[in-house]
Amino acid sequence: MKGLFVSAAIFYCLGILLVNYIRVSFWLVAGLGAVVFTAACLNFRQSRIFTVLVFLLALLFGALNMKNAFTLPRCHIRNLVHYNNKGSYSLSGYVDSQPVIKGKHSSFIFRAEELQADNFKWLCCGKVLVKLDFPEDLNYGDSLTLKGSFSRPYISSFSSRSYRDYLSRQGIFLLMHIENSLQVIPREAKSGSRLIAFSLWLRAELEQIIRRYLPDLPSAVLSAMVLGQKTTIPWLVNDYMVKSGTVHILVVSGFNVGIVAFITNLLLKIIRIRRKTRIILVIACLLIYCFITGASNPVIRATVMGVVFLSGYLLKREADVYGCLACAALFILIINPRQLFDVGFQLSFASVLAIVYLYPKIKSFLRLNKCKSKVLRFISESCLVSLCAWLGTMGIIAYNFRIVTPVTVLANILIVPLATLITLSGFSLVLCGYFCPFLGGAFSTTAAMLITLLLNINAAMIKIPGAYFYF
Amino acid sequence: MLNLTPEEKRAALFLLIIAFCGITLNNLVKLNCGAKKLFCPQVSLARINLNKISLEELVKTRCLPLKASQRVIAYRQQQGNFSSLEELKKVKGIGEKRYEKLKEIFFVE
Repeated sequence: MKGLFVSAAIFYCLGILLVNYIRVSFWLVAGLGAVVFTAACLNFRQSRIFTVLVFLLALLFGALNMKNAFTLPRCHIRNLVHYNNKGSYSLSGYVDSQPVIKGKHSSFIFRAEELQADNFKWLCCGKVLVKLDFPEDLNYGDSLTLKGSFSRPYISSFSSRSYRDYLSRQGIFLLMHIENSLQVIPREAKSGSRLIAFSLWLRAELEQIIRRYLPDLPSAVLSAMVLGQKTTIPWLVNDYMVKSGTVHILVVSGFNVGIVAFITNLLLKIIRIRRKTRIILVIACLLIYCFITGASNPVIRATVMGVVFLSGYLLKREADVYGCLACAALFILIINPRQLFDVGFQLSFASVLAIVYLYPKIKSFLRLNKCKSKVLRFISESCLVSLCAWLGTMGIIAYNFRIVTPVTVLANILIVPLATLITLSGFSLVLCGYFCPFLGGAFSTTAAMLITLLLNINAAMIKIPGAYFYF
Repeated sequence: MLNLTPEEKRAALFLLIIAFCGITLNNLVKLNCGAKKLFCPQVSLARINLNKISLEELVKTRCLPLKASQRVIAYRQQQGNFSSLEELKKVKGIGEKRYEKLKEIFFVE
């Protein structure tokens, strides 16, 4: 039973890979699936054959889902418009993401519902990335009519990673560029999910708290680490962190999800809520936190792992870490199989897998348990975790970003404990700032000092000769 | 009374020590303005000084194409250091859009 999810996830991923590199018809895969399903039903009692057939079915399911992801519905907006900046269209729908305002520009994802051109109207579906040449005060769920033309995302001549591919993995095939605020006509209705709208509202509130207590740069770093909001991170800070291999601390990860679960559990315990109810409420809070942080791949991975782990308590079953990881991978890939080719997805799973698999093996090989000094053992274990994560992700980073960062292990030994402290004090600040604002100041100073220290250490790390090199 | 686990006790201790450090630092800043440097990162950690960057470094940032980078450095050599970032607009090839992006990456001292 333990290996079931892991095997299913592996076969499912194989199916996705197979279809991505080999051309096969959707109906051929579907037909094969039907045959294998029938065979599995007929061999229900023959355990071995049944297991093989079920895994084959998982492979075909992956292939079928990938084929289906390539097929767009007839009413998809990409099938209805000319995307060479020709013609003017009127597009109705609603804002499907929190708009990002940068200087004089803003952008958001727009969910299309109705398209109009030359007195013709079509009901349509699909997402469009809208870029405005002016800052506009919009929110998730706002219904709008936009007037403008469409274009396709560019293909970068600098790198092998194409912006077009990146967007298409998110289901976005078109860009709409709007120069004038008169081209944005608001409509009265509100659309979208209420849960997402609530999460985004909460995120804005929490961001305001961070900004209230901290100077610009520390608040940008803390927003990224606690709320997953990277839009205000200066380019140079991000660049330095890429070069030192510590950019992962700016991404909300399993650690943050663990803290949210811990804090929620503790608060509910203090008000004496029963264990089962507490677990259900913790799961609900994890889901809200997932939406607050933008539901990126690492957060979904960590949330699903957390939910599976907690469900283990409810169902009185022991959850193993590989099973949780496989569940998380399946969850993301069933919704969108193209995420398998997303660098963020690969890095997130590769690092966790490397730590889970390599860490105990190397630890027992080096016989770290026999080390008597607690301090020395703690330091060597921290080094080992960083080393495992680096080994797991090095290949993907080198292939995609053409950078090798030998300084990573050293940088992580210093920066990860600091980042842990910052995240913890960040959560304390956010909670205190929200519930008792007069206490916020006590936490903010510590957080700001730790962030300043982190940025200085990071800047010093990349100045070490041979810290990083591009190839 | 609450039956707190060791982890929960540690969390309570952590909160107290963070708050304690914060108040101590706050007091330190009130007494000595120089201590503010401890928790206000320098601008150079977040942005690049346009008056000190070399052509090679500018190209490496990939913010500007090679020719535009050369023009920026040539402008600096001819006219002296930039007195404000707005001056970048005087360099051929840097329009309003590009300036908006560069504004977030560079600073002038």
